[in-house]
Amino acid sequence: MEQALVELWPILLYFAFTLVLLGGVMLVSTILGPRTRGHSTHLPYESGILPLGNARVKFANHFFLYAIFFVIFDLETLFLFAWAISFEQVGVTGFIEALVFILILLIALVYLWRIGALNIRKRHLPEQN
Amino acid sequence: MQQVSTPDLLSELQPWLANSVLLTETTADQIPTFWVAKKDLLTLCDAARYKLDKPFTFLFDLTAIDETTRQHMVLPQRQDFTVVYLLRSYERNQDVRIKVALDQNNKALASVTSIWPNANWYEREVWDLFGIKFDGHPCLRRIMMPTTWLGHPLCKTHPARATEMGEYSLSDDLRDIEQQALKFNPADWGLTPQGAPDEFMWLNLGPNHPSVHGVFRIMLQLDGEEIVEAIPDIGYHHRGAEKMGERQSWHSYIPYTDRIDYLGGVMNNLPYVMAIEKLAGIEVPERVKVIRVMMAEIFRILSHLLFYGTFAQDIGSLSPIFYMFVDREKLFAIVEAITGARMHPAWFRIGGLAADLPKGWDKMITEWLDYMPARMADYDQMVMQNSLVKKRAVGIGAYDTATAIEWGVTGPGLRATGFDWDLRKKRPYCGYENFDFDVPLGTRGDSYDRCAVRVAEIRQSMRIIRQCVQHMPEGPYKADHVLTTPPPKERTMQDIDTLIPHFLGVSWGPVIPAGEAMMEVEATKGSNAYYLTSDASTMSYRTRIRTPSFPHLQMIPVMAKGQMIADLIATIGSIDFVMADVDR
Amino acid sequence: MPTLDLVLMIAAMVAILVPTAAMLVWFERRLLGFFQQRYGPNRVGYFGILQSLADLIKILFKHDWIPPFADRPVFVLAPLIGALAVLMSFAVVPMSPNLMVSDSNIGLLFFLAMTSMAVYSVVLAGWASNNKYALLGGMRAAAQTISYEVFMGVSLLGVVILSGSFKLSDIVLAQQNMWYVIPQFLGFVIFMIAGIAESHRLPFDLPEAETELTAGFHTEYSGIKFALFFLGEYLGMMLISMMITTVFLGGWLGPWLPPIVWFLLKTLSLICFFVLLRAALPRPRFDQLLELGWKWILPLALLNLVATAFVKLWGDF
Repeated sequence: MEQALVELWPILLYFAFTLVLLGGVMLVSTILGPRTRGHSTHLPYESGILPLGNARVKFANHFFLYAIFFVIFDLETLFLFAWAISFEQVGVTGFIEALVFILILLIALVYLWRIGALNIRKRHLPEQN
Repeated sequence: MQQVSTPDLLSELQPWLANSVLLTETTADQIPTFWVAKKDLLTLCDAARYKLDKPFTFLFDLTAIDETTRQHMVLPQRQDFTVVYLLRSYERNQDVRIKVALDQNNKALASVTSIWPNANWYEREVWDLFGIKFDGHPCLRRIMMPTTWLGHPLCKTHPARATEMGEYSLSDDLRDIEQQALKFNPADWGLTPQGAPDEFMWLNLGPNHPSVHGVFRIMLQLDGEEIVEAIPDIGYHHRGAEKMGERQSWHSYIPYTDRIDYLGGVMNNLPYVMAIEKLAGIEVPERVKVIRVMMAEIFRILSHLLFYGTFAQDIGSLSPIFYMFVDREKLFAIVEAITGARMHPAWFRIGGLAADLPKGWDKMITEWLDYMPARMADYDQMVMQNSLVKKRAVGIGAYDTATAIEWGVTGPGLRATGFDWDLRKKRPYCGYENFDFDVPLGTRGDSYDRCAVRVAEIRQSMRIIRQCVQHMPEGPYKADHVLTTPPPKERTMQDIDTLIPHFLGVSWGPVIPAGEAMMEVEATKGSNAYYLTSDASTMSYRTRIRTPSFPHLQMIPVMAKGQMIADLIATIGSIDFVMADVDR
Repeated sequence: MPTLDLVLMIAAMVAILVPTAAMLVWFERRLLGFFQQRYGPNRVGYFGILQSLADLIKILFKHDWIPPFADRPVFVLAPLIGALAVLMSFAVVPMSPNLMVSDSNIGLLFFLAMTSMAVYSVVLAGWASNNKYALLGGMRAAAQTISYEVFMGVSLLGVVILSGSFKLSDIVLAQQNMWYVIPQFLGFVIFMIAGIAESHRLPFDLPEAETELTAGFHTEYSGIKFALFFLGEYLGMMLISMMITTVFLGGWLGPWLPPIVWFLLKTLSLICFFVLLRAALPRPRFDQLLELGWKWILPLALLNLVATAFVKLWGDF
C-alpha cells in the first residue's frame, strides 16, 4: 500500500499540473480571443456549400466489425500480459498453455480472413468489373 | 491529312437521308461541312455513328453560333442560330462538321446524348450560353452560369462588358440566395434518392477543397467511405473567355488564351494564332515554326512536371512536388529570358513571334536538358517505382479505349489505354513532322498509366527541344504578310503603301477575312482547339475554345462508382485538369 | 508524501514538455524543408527558431469558436482529453535514473492505457463537430487506432518476457549487456509502426488526410483547441520516440556522456527518422492500412511473442 502511494502521488500531482496548464491555456485564449461574427461564421464547413442533411447518418458496418474484433482480440491479449509478467514462475507449462491460446487466436484470425471479414466489402462497384 | 474529300463523304452520308439534301459549305480549314435540316439531325448522327463503315465514334465538339448580327458570308441556309457538331473518326483520321440552323423563335432541337454520351455537358453548355433547348436531354440545366442567372450570355443581345450592366454588389441577402441555389438537391440532378434519408451521406467535395485542383465540385453520395454516386459540377471558374473573344481585337485576345489552360502558357497561343493564320492565309517562316514547337514543348514539360508532383501529393507523397518546383523554376528562368514573362508569356503573334530568340538561349536550354535526366531518374524511384504508389494507383480509375472515346477523352488519358493517337504524329502541324520522337502508350488505362504516359512524354519533349536547339533554322521571326500583327516595320518609313496598313494593323488591329477555321493542337492535357468565325472585322465574330479538360471531368462519375474516397482523389489527380481550362 | 524536490521536478517537467513540442514543430518544418530543397520557416528569430512562439501568440488571440451546431461540452473536452492523455504518458518515461515523475511498477501498462485514451479524443472530436468531413476522419481514426492498438501491446510483450518487468526503469537496466532492439528486432519494428499509427503521422495520417478529408476530424477546430490537437500530435511523436528509446534502445544507457544526454540523443535521432518517413512515403489507402494491420502485423506480433518465449525457455540467452 505504502509503495502504491509513493508511485501514485507524483502521477496525481503531475495530472493536476497538466490539467491546470492545458485548462489555463484554453481559458486564456477564451478571454483574449475576439468574438468575430461574420455572415457565414456559424455555418459548418463543407467545401463552401450549404450541407444537405447533417453528419448524423448511419455508417457502414465494416467499422463496427473492426470494433468488435478489437474488443475480442484486445481482451484476449490481456491474458498474454498476465502470462508474460509471470513468465519465470509458470515455466514450460505456462508456455504450452499460452501457445495453445495463441494458436486459437491465430486460427480465429485466419477464419476471419477466410470469410472476408477483414476486407472492406465494396457494395457499389458496377457489375461489369 | 484529310483523306476523304467533301464529295466522297457526301455520297456516303446522303443515302441515309431519304428526303432531304445535305448542303455543303467550304471553310478555311478544309473540314467537310454539311448543313442538315433540324428534323434529320438524329438520323444523320445515327448514321455517322453506327451505320457507316469506319464510323464517327467521337464527338469532338458541340457548340453554337448566334448569327443574328452577321454582315458577311450570308448563306441561304443560315438562320438566327447555328448549332455546330464536329465529329471525328479515328479509323479514317477524318473530321466532319455538321451544322443545324435554328430560328430565333424556335430554339430547340433533338439531343444527341443517346448517340454520344459526352454530348451531355456540351448541350448543357449550349443551353446555358445560348438558350437553345435540347429535347430528350436527361438533365438540361445551367452548367457555366449560376442557376440564378438571367439571360444567355453568348447571345449577341447579352451585354459583354461590366459597364453595359448595372452596378454589381453582393449583399448578404443576395449571398444567401446564391448559397441556397447552390445547395444540392438530388431531384434537380435527375436522381431519385433511395432508402431512408440517413442511409447515405451526401458530401460536397469542393469547390473549396485541397484536392480538386481549383474550384471544382463533386457531389458524392457515400455509403461509409464508398462512393455510390458522384456528380461533378463546374462553372465556378467561368470567366466568359469566349464572350471576351468577341470584344477584343484579334491581336489583343492573345493574352486571354494564355489563361485558359493556365499551366500551358504559349501552348494556348499556338492553336489560336494558327487558326487566324489559316483564315488570313499567312504562311509562317521555318524559324517561327521551330521556335513555336520548342516553346510549346517547354510548356508541356512545365505542365507535366506540375501534374507529376501534384499527383504524388494527392496520394500522400509530400516531397516530389518540391523537387519538381525546383526544376520548373530553372525552366521558368529560361522562359523568362526568352519571352520576358514566366507562366503567361502571350509570346506568339499572328504570323510570327513577339521577338527573336535572345543571345545565349541555346546554352541555357542545353544546360537544363543535361541537368534534367538525373532528376527524372530520381523521380522514377521516388514515385513511379514506389510500391505504395503502385498500390494506390494501379487499377484505380481505369477505363478502356472505347469508353475513353465515347466520353471524349483525348491526350495522355486516351493514350494510357494503349490507343496510339497523337495529333503531332497523325496530323502534324507547325512542322512536327520534321521531329524525331515517340508516342508513349499505356496498357491498362488506369491512374498509374496516365501518370506513366506523362512522365514518358516529358522525356520525349526533352528530345524534341534538343532537336530544336541543334537544328534551329535562320530567318525572320515574323511572316512577311500584311496581316501579320504587329506587321514588319522595315519599309514603313519608305512608302505610304506599307505605312497605311501598318498604322491600321497596329491601331485598329488586323481585319481578318470572313470565314471560319478550326485549329487543334496536342496540348498539355489533350486536344485543345480554337474554332474561330470571322465576319471580316477587327474582332472575332465567335471564338469557340474546345478544351480537353471539359470532357475529362464529365467522365468522373463513370470512374468513381464503387471507389473509396481515397481512390477518387487518386483518380482526379491522374486526370490532370485545371479549372480555367474547363470553365473558360 | 512528495518532497519539495519532486514537486519542483514535476512542475518543471510540465513546463518543459509543451514548449519542447512547440519547438519540435519548428524543427520538423525546418528538417522537412531541408529534405525538400526549400527553406522552411526562417524569419522569426535566428533560423526561425521563434516561429512556434509567434504561432502560439497568434493562436491565443484567435476567436475561440465553438460551432453552434456542435455538441458543445464534447467539442471542448475532446482536444483536452487528447493532449492530457499524451502528456500523462510522459509521467512514466524514465529519462535518466532519477529524472522521472513516477517509476511505476506498471509503467508499461500505464503507457498503453494512456495511448488508448487518445483515441477518444479523436473520435469524440469527429463526432461532436457534426461535420461530415470530421465524422469520416473520426471513423477512420477509430478504426485505425483500435486496429493498431491490439498489436502495439503484443509487440512489447517480448520485452516483458525478457526483462520480467512492466517497470520501465527495470527494462532499461536489463539492457546493460544488449539493447532489446537486437533480440526483439521484429517487436521493435512492429512497435514503431504501431506508434506512428497511434500518433497519426504520415504515412498513417489518414484521419486527417488533407488531400482527402480537408482536415479530417479537426475540420471545425480553430484557435487554441486546434493547437492542442496539433501539439498532441507532436507530443505523441516525442512520446513514441522516447518509448522506443526506453524499451528497445537502452534508454539512458551509454558511455561517457551523462544519461539524460544519451536519452535525448536517441530520442532526437528517432524523431529525425519519423520526419524522414514523412518526407519519403506516400499514404496507403484506408482499407489497405487496416488489412496490413490485421492480416500481417498482428500474426507476426503473436509469432514474435511465441518465438521469444521459446528462446527464453530453451535458448542460450
